[in-house]
Amino acid sequence: MPAWLAILASRIRGLFTAGRQDQEFDLEMAVHLDMLTDDNIGRGLAPAEARRQAVLRFGGRVQIREQQHQNRSLPFVETTMQDIRYGMRALRRSPAYSLVAIATLAIGIGAGTAVFTVVGAVLMRPLPYQAPDQLVRIFETNPLRRWTRNIAAPANYADWRTRNKSFTGIAAYEQFSTNGSGAGDLFLTGFGEPQSLKALGVSGNLFEVLGAAPLLGRTFVEAEQWEGRARVAILSYGLWQSAFGGDPAIVGRTITLSGRGYDVVGVMPRAFFFPGRDVQLWTPFGYTPQLMASSRRPHWLGVVARRRPEVRFEQAREDMTNIAADLERQYPDTNTRMGVRLEPLHDSYASKPRAALLMLSGAVGLLFLIVCANIANLQLSRGVSRARELAIRRALGAGRRRVLRQLLTESLLLSVIGGALGFGLAALARVALTRYAASAIPLFAVVQTDRTVLFFALGLSMIAPVIFGIAPALSTSRSGQVTERSESASRETRWLRHLLVTGEVALSIVLVVGAVLLLRSLGRLQDVDPGFAKEHAITFTMSLPAARYPNDAVRYRTFLELERRLREQPGVQAVGATSTLALRGFTWTGDTTIEGRAATDYERDTRHISMTPGYVGAMGIRLLAGRLFDTGDTRDKPQVTIVNESLARLYFRGLANADIVGKRVAFGRPQDNSPWVTIVGVVADEKQDGLDRPAEPTEYSSIGQRLQNPLTFVVRTTIDPDAAFAGVRAQVAAVDRDLALTQPATLEAVVETSMDDARFRTTLLAVFAGIALLLAALGIYGVLAYFVSQRSRELGIRLALGARPRALFLMVVGQGLRPVAIGVAIGLAGAMGVTTLMQSLLFGVTPVDPAAYVVATGVLGAIAAAACALPALRATRVDPLVALRDE
Amino acid sequence: MGDRDSKSEILQGTLDLMVLQTLDAMGPLHGYGIARRIEQISEDVLQLNQGTIYASLLRLQQRRWVLANWGTSDNNRKAKFYAITRNGRKQMAAQARNWERISAVMMRLLRLAPR
Repeated sequence: MPAWLAILASRIRGLFTAGRQDQEFDLEMAVHLDMLTDDNIGRGLAPAEARRQAVLRFGGRVQIREQQHQNRSLPFVETTMQDIRYGMRALRRSPAYSLVAIATLAIGIGAGTAVFTVVGAVLMRPLPYQAPDQLVRIFETNPLRRWTRNIAAPANYADWRTRNKSFTGIAAYEQFSTNGSGAGDLFLTGFGEPQSLKALGVSGNLFEVLGAAPLLGRTFVEAEQWEGRARVAILSYGLWQSAFGGDPAIVGRTITLSGRGYDVVGVMPRAFFFPGRDVQLWTPFGYTPQLMASSRRPHWLGVVARRRPEVRFEQAREDMTNIAADLERQYPDTNTRMGVRLEPLHDSYASKPRAALLMLSGAVGLLFLIVCANIANLQLSRGVSRARELAIRRALGAGRRRVLRQLLTESLLLSVIGGALGFGLAALARVALTRYAASAIPLFAVVQTDRTVLFFALGLSMIAPVIFGIAPALSTSRSGQVTERSESASRETRWLRHLLVTGEVALSIVLVVGAVLLLRSLGRLQDVDPGFAKEHAITFTMSLPAARYPNDAVRYRTFLELERRLREQPGVQAVGATSTLALRGFTWTGDTTIEGRAATDYERDTRHISMTPGYVGAMGIRLLAGRLFDTGDTRDKPQVTIVNESLARLYFRGLANADIVGKRVAFGRPQDNSPWVTIVGVVADEKQDGLDRPAEPTEYSSIGQRLQNPLTFVVRTTIDPDAAFAGVRAQVAAVDRDLALTQPATLEAVVETSMDDARFRTTLLAVFAGIALLLAALGIYGVLAYFVSQRSRELGIRLALGARPRALFLMVVGQGLRPVAIGVAIGLAGAMGVTTLMQSLLFGVTPVDPAAYVVATGVLGAIAAAACALPALRATRVDPLVALRDE
Repeated sequence: MGDRDSKSEILQGTLDLMVLQTLDAMGPLHGYGIARRIEQISEDVLQLNQGTIYASLLRLQQRRWVLANWGTSDNNRKAKFYAITRNGRKQMAAQARNWERISAVMMRLLRLAPR
């Protein structure tokens, strides 16, 4: 063993045996002195003199003892352990202070860690693909159609692939809805109950572009993307486990999906997802080469590309912009003004939650500062009461540095205990979040309490004492002179404490204003008329597999049959079905020609929805003019349409609804020569993309004339939703045992779910603001209570001299409210600046909404006044005699 | 600070070697015995606070060059006895050689210097 290691080992042992070794050494020194004394006596000295000389000869015993002690162990560690022991003792001695400080820290660190758990998962954790930084999403843009991040048309995608110089590969996947990842439903049969699966059609090179290796089997090859070769499937880990019990021999087996056989060629690893965790299965999209080469409208492909490492993002963007310009020149008919937009894949995934998460990060940062200010304040008032203890310690020889170190160790101790509790709180919050607000978490993120989160909590626990502990420690350790309660020190402390209260109040105001703005937005959102009656209705989606329902005629009959059966259920008042349910957004869009307009004039991006005759009634959508569909609106009859109010307003400016009925439109541009369709009715708008978005111009056709599959049913019923669903399932099974319904929900839940994001961020910010208010109140109360207790003699004298209690009360309250008023002023100004950053999160209110500022000031003022009233009341009850005797 | 340390370091090293040499020559001894022996050998040229011997003994123990055990002294006192280890002997030999080299150089230097 090298000498230094032997020394270290011995010193570490020394840490634990210090007491015994000190005793041993005392004994050893005593024996030594005795021997020396004996020898001196032997040399003829008198016993007393012999002893005296022996002591001299030996040298300073105390010094030697101390030196041996230090050399036996690790002094730094020993001092720290001593500090911790002292600290624990000091904290136990004032349990109220310790509890408040630890609880406050636990809340501050817990809130910070909880927010980090989500922010880290959504914005920071690298995606589970190879070199994820190189992955880019490519969207189509078109100012004429107000497209900023649109999906791509197949032929444009094909041209991007062949013409670009920036990417090692470009892959595509189908986006047929805005629900979840946009995957469609396939039905797995042959394994117990028919099961609906989220399946995504992808290009053959997708897994190669992502750089994702399979756990079992292989990924797709390029050629498998074409029609006729596409009956292969790759399973997600989750599906492999849940539906096939993790069968290791699954690769090579054939499974039945919506009535067609697919060969399982691979299973992906557990961490893999694309593009969201809801996708359970990938199949090649199976297009014809002809479609891929020529279809430039409509648009339905999500596109993801891998940038060559040597090509910068900006270069890739330039390359793609040039390609888009070439395509525009080459295909003016379809590609006029069609541009591209590139986003790093991770940014694209996180684009929706980013603003809210950044807002929450900022808010929780402010809360953390408030927590620190509050504890600094607590420590300052505690420092005053500890002045005597510290003065004694300094008098006994502890240097200022030593006292400072002691105080900071105490702070760290508080913070670590608070941090541990906070970490626990954050873990609980995560569980609650994933259970009750799962839809607020984007589908690609795994929110978990892992080692990174632990390190973050630990980091906060380390940073906190630096923020809250240094100023009080400096101020407290200075009051070392035995002239305890020195006037200058307490004046400085008071100034510091007022500053802290001002800061707390200012930060709280910012949080409260933000919370009020979000609460008002949420209120406005809840007040929005969705355009339909959300009460007493359930909804589900029904998809008819092409294998068993090969043509529109049989699908039409089946849907009508189901609608008829459901209508006969007990309690059911109305039934209808639509290709796109309100608030679930996604539909096909296309151009519309209005009869009588100039040949070059047409409308873009009309939404197309198909519905059964019963849908408008079942939803409770108001009919504004004309008529609804009936079963007579079939293929062999003249084609008819019902339009929504937005379409009526925008396409027929100035015409009354009644006058629009009877007009004719064609779905296509004038040069497309599409057949004329007669408008037979106008209905009120139903909200489509969200309660906060206006409805888009929309055209409804009858499924008798334009069938779509799947359809979403709406059943208006007086009975309990669970019982209603049981009835629905029975009727579905009666129509076809192998059919499964998906997305069962009450209509109310559909509306509520659309507000989940808003509710999530609002709730969190409101909670943060509430805590901030509480802490600010605590801070104000603390400062003022201290002021009253310190001035009790003065107050007593004033009372004795005839001061009216009312005047004293007002004086004390005034004293307390001064820093509050300054804080409110600073906070309001700060809020003006900060809340403009929240613009995108607000609905129906502006960031400078005066009501929010008034409410925030009022709430804070009321709480501050209450916090001041208690100590002020005590001031008026000071007994002059007691106060004077006290000194 | 640094100045004083460097002086005491030389002294420390010297004292450590003296202790090792003493234990090697005399067999196990208690602290007082070691101190007395060093004083006798040096014929009182070296006057040391006897307490400092323990700093040296602690250093040697931590390096495992010396072992300590409680025992009984000649006049029946309970005392801690120190004994040199094999490792300590090796170390002592190395340090002694080093000393001889340095002292030889010193002697030559001193002889060369004009008086």
